[in-house]
Amino acid sequence: MTQVTLSGLTKIFDQKSPPAVDNLDLEIESGKLTALLGPSGCGKTTTMKMIAGLLRPTAGDILFDGDSILSIKPEERGAVMVFQNYLLFPYMNIADNIGFGLKMRKVNKKEIRSRVQDMLDLVQLPGFEDRKPNQLSGGQQQRIALARALIVQPNVLLLDEPLSNLDAHLRDEMRVLIRRIQTEMGITTVFVTHDQEEAVVLADKVALLFDGRLQQFDAPDSFYDTPNTVDIATFFGGTNFIPGYYLDGTITTDIGVFDAPNSLVPEGDAVLSIRPEAVDLGEGGENSVSGTVLSHVYAGRYARFQIRIGDIEIEAVTEPGQVKLFADGDNIPVKFDPDKIWVLGPNTAEQPAATTG
Amino acid sequence: MNRFRLSERGAERLSISVLLAPAVAVIVLLFLGGLASGFLRSLNYFPLIGLNDFNFDAYFAIFTDNGFLQSLVLTFHIAFTSTLIASILAVASALLLRPAFRGKRIVHFFFSLNLTIPHLVGAIGVLYLFQNSGLVSRIMTGLDIIQRPADFPAMVFDPWAIGIIIQYVWKEIPFIGVIVLAILLSVGEDYESVARSLGANRWQAFRQVTLPLIMPGVVSASVIVFAFTFGAFEIPYLLGRTFPAALPVLAYQSYTDVDLAARPQAMAMAMVIAFISTLLIMAYMKLSRVYIRE
Ligand SMILES: Nc1ncnc2c1ncn2[C@@H]1O[C@H](COP(=O)(O)OP(=O)(O)OP(=O)(O)O)[C@@H](O)[C@H]1O
Ligand SMILES: [Mg+2]
Repeated sequence: MTQVTLSGLTKIFDQKSPPAVDNLDLEIESGKLTALLGPSGCGKTTTMKMIAGLLRPTAGDILFDGDSILSIKPEERGAVMVFQNYLLFPYMNIADNIGFGLKMRKVNKKEIRSRVQDMLDLVQLPGFEDRKPNQLSGGQQQRIALARALIVQPNVLLLDEPLSNLDAHLRDEMRVLIRRIQTEMGITTVFVTHDQEEAVVLADKVALLFDGRLQQFDAPDSFYDTPNTVDIATFFGGTNFIPGYYLDGTITTDIGVFDAPNSLVPEGDAVLSIRPEAVDLGEGGENSVSGTVLSHVYAGRYARFQIRIGDIEIEAVTEPGQVKLFADGDNIPVKFDPDKIWVLGPNTAEQPAATTG
Repeated sequence: MNRFRLSERGAERLSISVLLAPAVAVIVLLFLGGLASGFLRSLNYFPLIGLNDFNFDAYFAIFTDNGFLQSLVLTFHIAFTSTLIASILAVASALLLRPAFRGKRIVHFFFSLNLTIPHLVGAIGVLYLFQNSGLVSRIMTGLDIIQRPADFPAMVFDPWAIGIIIQYVWKEIPFIGVIVLAILLSVGEDYESVARSLGANRWQAFRQVTLPLIMPGVVSASVIVFAFTFGAFEIPYLLGRTFPAALPVLAYQSYTDVDLAARPQAMAMAMVIAFISTLLIMAYMKLSRVYIRE
């Protein structure tokens, strides 16, 4: 399989606007599924097109297994891209759509036919060969687009938001299918999405992009546990931020001083971040402060509390049973487990007030 | 409620019909009326000049006339060759222009320049350029490519109707080109990208993906061009030989013949032109549909 390296990859469409992709360095591991995550317009599709050879980079290099492939034509790169909007060829039936890549490689008709069958089985749509694309649902078209890419046995599979047009149920099904096929075939896969949950569920590693720049490239859980910036933590959502000053393993905030062994900043202005699940209600002792229950929601499998501590509001997610223990207006001890506190640099333009993102 | 809505829709339909009536009447009278009276005259029924008996003599006469058959072949040659060349060049130029013209307005301007010049002016241009004493021949003489202007190969009043075809090609490229370019821009380049990514080289991507996508547009534009060139009079009249002449010219010659008996034959020719145009267009449409389904 193929390892893909992006080195200083840059794309500028026109001089007046900022680069669509800005000096991107990325090591996409061979045989793994890497998610390219970011909000709309951050340069995900542009990056994929450059890897596939459909767009010429303004600067930087793309290497497959250590060799630059910039001078290699798209049809010879072995990197197949599946587009956001499927783009099945409308005048061809499904069999011809799936067999397209093999036909271009002058594979004989008999073999094409049998491999098309295999692909239809793989994506669980046997018997669809004679239909036209417009006779298929969105989810089915998506699966055909996937089959059309897989049939040529690509070294690198580039999936551009393959699930964004599907409803929630189909999306779950397709995630499982994609993950299964990817693991079975061991294809180096880049999966574009703007949905952080999807990235986390599917990928071995996630590359987060804002405005064409790489923010963090890590295992999925790191984005929750040890995000690089407040922006990243905010993008993943749900985290409590409390500004303070960090020194010698403790962070001093308006609502108290907390032990925090895990920090990105050695010393100075910082932000304490703690996920709602890591806030323990009703426990006193070390690293605890006193707060007031403002409101609560019972959600079946968990409960969610809004707590006021001093001038700051935080969110806590607990066992559902705890709704019975605390009523709105109660004064209760609130504990932050030191191991679950993550201290960040205050690197955003506007200082985050203590909010839940 | 439902019934009310129905009657409302009925009223709307009625008012549309009423509004359209004058236009429809003009078309029916001029087009179908003209066709019908031409047809009657071709059947030797023309009381004004003393012809009252229906017969097929005119048709018999023209179809046994070698000159008419030669004209027919020539006309087909002119229409087919010019449409084919214009279509190919139009597609090629639209493809070349596409990357440069993301702004559609510029394209429009570029092509409409040519579209607004009348055919007649084009014909005079062709005369001026391609006659034996024309500009091209004189330049070539000046450059010593040919010895005398008279050595310049005949491209006007020539047996292959080269001058006529040049004029039609020049005039029709932008017409087909505008349509193709509009389709190319609306289809976008992503289908080609998919094809390239799946392993198609440039040519395969064009042949297997882009061409089928633009084909319906190319065909419908070509059909219009073909029908026009098959039945048009002025260009072959100005740039063509007198014998064999293109069908519309031949029909005109017969119609203005001093011998009134030639009138039904002129009408018969006109009918043949109309009939063949219709047939060819139908065949073309059918072929193109098969092609698209492929
Ligand atoms: N062909 C182009 N010409 C000019 N600008 C472009 C072109 N393609 C993309 N851009 C710009 O580059 C930036 C990145 O676009 P891109 O399509 O890569 O975003 P994306 O991350 O895929 O977004 P989405 O999630 O909405 O698909 C955008 O600001 C876009 O406007
Ligand atoms: Mg995109």
